[in-house]
Amino acid sequence: MTGLERLLAALGDAKVAFIIVGGVAARAHGSSRLTDHLDIVPARDKDNLARLVAALAPLKPYLRGAPPGLPFEWSARTLEAGLNFTLTTTAGSIDLLGEITGGGMYEDLAPHALTITLFKREVQLLDLPWLIRVKRAAGRPRDLEVVAELEALREELER
Amino acid sequence: MKAIIDPAAVVAEARRRAGLSQRELGERAGIAQPAVARLERAGANPTLRTLEALAAAAGFTLRLVLEPAAPPDAVVERYKRDVDRTLLRENLRRTVDERVRSLGEWQHDMRELQAATRRARSRAKGRR
Repeated sequence: MTGLERLLAALGDAKVAFIIVGGVAARAHGSSRLTDHLDIVPARDKDNLARLVAALAPLKPYLRGAPPGLPFEWSARTLEAGLNFTLTTTAGSIDLLGEITGGGMYEDLAPHALTITLFKREVQLLDLPWLIRVKRAAGRPRDLEVVAELEALREELER
Repeated sequence: MKAIIDPAAVVAEARRRAGLSQRELGERAGIAQPAVARLERAGANPTLRTLEALAAAAGFTLRLVLEPAAPPDAVVERYKRDVDRTLLRENLRRTVDERVRSLGEWQHDMRELQAATRRARSRAKGRR
């Protein structure tokens, strides 16, 4: 089982409500780009954050790039106190995004999510028009390159 | 005002602003709850008449506005010329599951490659 599959299995089995965005979403839509981390926007209600904490706990999440030994407590309270967390786990890197530029929070994105079956589990994926929208809104040069590919994908799908 | 760009989002937003459940909105508009759920799903393509009826049931008037299209972004258009569409077409022939699985496999292989390169660098350093 790859790291990506382990991460998605852990989240899916714990019934965490989340939407896949970023590079993995782009790949699912047909992008040829590779990414080395999973970006998700989880619902931020108390119960969901508790499920998220329980799901990832066995994978030993820690702040990516932070020196070892920091007093980081992996708990729902920590997640409630912050918005975005870039984490490393034993299954690979994962970013938990409370809100994304141009897209908003889980509730704002949910109407624009597709339910897909991935690794035998149903997961939500941001749809292509909204993925383009949030990438455009992020506006970094590397995002514009991704926008170009996603727009080309949309053109291919409309052919 | 929040910009809404697809019909499914219009239905969900109107219902949410009115504080109605899908069943309540459906009852007001004379549509069954599963149909409302379908209309709120991304990719739904309701008729304008259905949208008007649902908006009215939630207490809103639907208004369509024509605005000039945003000009294409020159940077994006330039990048687009370099996109290798043969790769995209290959990917589009696969299922979503296959696309993401291959990403996971690539990630695994890239880590192997990086580890092998590190080992080689370290061996070369040891010989010096």
